[in-house]
Amino acid sequence: MIQSVRRAALILKELGSSPRMGVTELGERLGLAKATVFGLLRALEAEQLVERDEEAGKYRLGPAMLQLGNAFLDNHELRARSLLWAESLASRVGEAVRVGVLNGRRVLIVHHVFRPDNSVQILEVGASIPWHACALGKAMASYLEADQRSELLDGDLARLTGKTVCDPTALDRELDQVARRGVALEDQEAIVGEAEIAATVFDHEGTPVGAIGVAGPVERLLSDGPSPHVVAAVRETARSLSREMGAGRLSVRAR
Amino acid sequence: MRERRSTRGTVTAAGDGEAPLGAAFVLQWVNELAFLVRDQRDYLTQLDAAIGDADHGINLDRGLTAAVANLQGMAKETPGDILKAVGTALMFTVGGAAGPLYGSGFRDLGQALGSKAEFGPEDLLVAFRAGLDAIQKLGAAAVGDKTIVDAFVPALAAFERGLRAGEDLPASATRARKAAEEGMRATVPLQARKGRASYLGPRSMGHQDPGATSTALLFSALERAAGGPNGPAPERP
Repeated sequence: MIQSVRRAALILKELGSSPRMGVTELGERLGLAKATVFGLLRALEAEQLVERDEEAGKYRLGPAMLQLGNAFLDNHELRARSLLWAESLASRVGEAVRVGVLNGRRVLIVHHVFRPDNSVQILEVGASIPWHACALGKAMASYLEADQRSELLDGDLARLTGKTVCDPTALDRELDQVARRGVALEDQEAIVGEAEIAATVFDHEGTPVGAIGVAGPVERLLSDGPSPHVVAAVRETARSLSREMGAGRLSVRAR
Repeated sequence: MRERRSTRGTVTAAGDGEAPLGAAFVLQWVNELAFLVRDQRDYLTQLDAAIGDADHGINLDRGLTAAVANLQGMAKETPGDILKAVGTALMFTVGGAAGPLYGSGFRDLGQALGSKAEFGPEDLLVAFRAGLDAIQKLGAAAVGDKTIVDAFVPALAAFERGLRAGEDLPASATRARKAAEEGMRATVPLQARKGRASYLGPRSMGHQDPGATSTALLFSALERAAGGPNGPAPERP
């Protein structure tokens, strides 16, 4: 039984990584018999976790997935508590704001406030960015226990742009600087032309639970070094958010 | 829309033994590019709306308009300096990822032409390589990542094949334009691995990359400036 739950979960993940797939294709990818895949899909379809495209006879994720995804976001404490803070940070600095948590070796964006200029922007909630390529990830990594930090530094550090820092020693040094500066910086390390200034959010135990950052064009955030106005706003917001997450004044200040 | 100035025929494209290329040729190339981008602005923006911030056409148009305005009175400068000036203008006015990418591409292309007043198709090939290098250095993208590079790499290879086959500039430029458009169309099924579009994961599939599309325009403009048969505007899916 447990095996079938696992297989069903794998099917959902496969469907989540491509637009739609047929029974045969799914079977091949997972190394399962067609009949097995079909049985699992039927059960998932009954729960609306997948749906069948009548025309092509292929499967894709179903509407219940949206409800589950939203429920995840609604129940996410950091996200829930960051909503107002992120909004006011965005309007204070006139740039986009993102809130992320560390999920394995990647940062999962759990909240994103658009740059308040009425332009078309892509909602980045749900995006997953390699930790070492974004300020949010570096802000969190810098406050992890030493063994957790080296685990992150020892793994794969992919190059996303020409400016991504992929050398573990250089990254380690940069993480040390985050504590001194109070913010982590990202200079076109994930996307050409884009920068981010982020600060760590702590819980009542002083553990880093996430990060909040201002993202925008590199020429506005980092032209003559990091914009002091944005740095101050990000630090203040992260402190307030940490207090709301239960972090004591002392524990935050000591950081 | 601005009227297209018909200067075709006043610039002689040079193959081996033909008149060399000069400032007039690069000025016309940039003007043709500005025209094509203005013409396709909404299309580029529409492509970008699917997988980006819906500003690629608007940003490139703004940048090229500024670049062209900058070029007034530069007819006596060297081709290299003209292209460097275009690069600098794009870098400061386009914004987003396209600004730094095209900006540094043009700058290094100009740099590679050096201070020569005249150059031939072989010099152009070398300069294109330098431009592509700059773009790849900045973006770390390879063919298949769904970016500018997907159109640029095959265009450059086709351009080189043309020259090696002993073709003149117009014929080689036509090859390059066709290869760029092929590369551009090949981005449709790809999942983006670079830029903000990569945050969309599988949702980026099924959309033509706006950067590869504007790069196809770059080679289309080259073809027009070279006086080759006027290629059709890039296809709209």
